[in-house]
Formats: sequence, structure tokens, C-alpha cells
Amino acid sequence: MHNLPESCFPPEIRNLFVSLGRVGFFERSVLIGSWVMPVYQVHRGIRYALRTTDIDFAVSLAYPRARMRADLERIITDLGFTNFISTEGIQKFSAGGYEVEFLAHRPGGKDTGTTAVKEWNINAQSLPFINILIDFAEETGLDGTTIRFPLPEAFFLQKLIVSPKRASEGKRRKDLEQCAILAPVLDDAVLQRLVQVQRFSRETKRYIAASCGSIGFPLQRLGIFISVEEKR
Amino acid sequence: MKVAENDAVVQGMLQDEHERCRVALGALERKVDGYPKGALNVRVKQVGGRRYSYHYLVSREGGRVVNRHIPKAELPTLQKQLKERDRCREEIRSYKSRIAYLEKLLRIPRRKRSPRAQPA
Repeated sequence: MHNLPESCFPPEIRNLFVSLGRVGFFERSVLIGSWVMPVYQVHRGIRYALRTTDIDFAVSLAYPRARMRADLERIITDLGFTNFISTEGIQKFSAGGYEVEFLAHRPGGKDTGTTAVKEWNINAQSLPFINILIDFAEETGLDGTTIRFPLPEAFFLQKLIVSPKRASEGKRRKDLEQCAILAPVLDDAVLQRLVQVQRFSRETKRYIAASCGSIGFPLQRLGIFISVEEKR
Repeated sequence: MKVAENDAVVQGMLQDEHERCRVALGALERKVDGYPKGALNVRVKQVGGRRYSYHYLVSREGGRVVNRHIPKAELPTLQKQLKERDRCREEIRSYKSRIAYLEKLLRIPRRKRSPRAQPA
């Protein structure tokens, strides 16, 4: 397992990751969002300098425990973060302009919403396709703890799906740019294995095809073939 | 004069960041409104050779300075709330200065800028 250098993250973010790692959060949950890109930089040699100030984590809800395992709300606020609820009812933590948010997989339906995660005493925003990031992840070391992050192939696939659905043009472009940067280091066999275990709707396949078209990524590399009827 | 073309990705990120900061600022300001106003003061009195300390919450209400006595039992909760309020205020200041900076970068006309985002 690779170890991440100290310089990979600013001190306040590194402290946050290490604190979460120490209580076992990364045993099943993963770091997601643009802060995964510095990890890929170390592991896969990509170059990507842009970071947002929001730090996202995907929380695994498989085998949920009713008993609280660690009080993340207290742990994060003890690190100097302020806990607040956004207008959409999502719990967030803010410090020095950084914003921490937790996301959970939503199996179906169109409603967004929040899920109370008793195991960690937090509320997570429920979104579709988060399971791709949680189920296909690897580990890395940081300051004596372990951090889980999605395989680049999983990160890539999830971005291809969500990018066309983004309300913000800026976010859509950023997703596609991250995909384009990751494309040269992806393993086609992993990508195809990942696609095989998913059950994508016709609409989702169309989204993937549209994103692949935008970055000039051959759809065949994913093992997805769309018929003329499906394209309509 | 040669003018650099706007980078759509960087520009988009700045716009998203601006929007995110405004939303977070609004949420933090709402949170601060729910906390007690004022500052905690201690008055020490000496009676019959013994020293007694009383805690007061000093705040302004409609131009008047109001001193509200805080019973000992309420003190830990209030101190925790005031600490959290101050931390929120610090975050609000950081968001305001970030919004002001982003609005300059994004060249948002002064009249369209967030009223609360003007630098002090």
C-alpha cells in the first residue's frame, strides 16, 4: 500500500482525514469529490491542480449498525469545524472556508433527501450512483492511518453518469475535465468489470454515451454498446 | 492589447464556489441568529469577607444595555452556545471575505454584489 506524502493535503484537511481514519470510518466509507485527485496524482501519476473547498465523503450504509460507533459530529467540531444545516436540510461542517459533507447511496426514486447515519451520528445527503464509488475502492496510508478512495475507473464512470445531470455548467465541465485527465490511466478490464455488475437504464446509458462523446472517449472501452433504438 | 480567453472550467469553478459560499453564509447567519446575543460578564462582590461571583449576559436591546443574570446551572450551556456563536461568526467573516474576493475575480458589477459581502 502506498503512503501519501504529508504535502498531499493542507494540514487542516490532513487532520480531518486522519481523525476519521483513526475511528475506522474508512473501513467501508470513502473519500470522494475533487480531493481524490491529489491521491490519484500520487498513485497514478496524473496532474490536476484545481480543488474545490468542499470535502465530500461517501458513507457506506451496507450492514448499518444501530449503535453509534463514533460521534463524527463531535470529532469534526472538535477539530474547529462549525456544524450547520443548509437550506436543503443537509448537515455540513465548515472551517476556514472548507466545507465537509457526507453523501450516501440512494437506490432509486427522484427525491433527494437526507439519511440519518446513526453509526456515525451524522446526516448524509442521499444521491444515486454513490455505491459505484463505495463498492470499487482501494486504500492508501496517511500519517499511520488508512484512507479509502474510489478506484479511478469507478470515479470516472460515476462522473460520466452524473455530469450530464448537473444543473451547473461549471460543475459539468469540471466533471468532464477530471474524466479526460483520468482517461489515459484507466484499465479497460477494470472498467468493463465495473460496468458489467451495474444495471444501467437506457437513460443512464445515454448519459454515459453523451459524456464519452464530449471527451472523445470510445464507448467500447467501457464495454457498452448502444443500439440505434437506445440512442433515441 | 491581447486579452486571455476565459477558461470555462476555472470560471465555472469560481462561479460554483461563489454560489456555495453564498449558500453557506446564509445558513451560518441563520444559525447565529438562533444563539444568544451579548457578552458574558462576571461581577465579583465581597460580602462579610467572602467573595461571590455573579455572571451576567450583557446585550443591547433597542438602544438600551440589558444585563441579564445567569444562574450557575445555566452557565455551562450558555458558555458553550456563546463559544459556538463566536466560531460561527468567525466562519461568517471568512465566507464574506471569500465572497468579496470571488466577486472581484468574477467581475460582478458592484451594484450586483452581495450586500453583506462588501469588505470592511
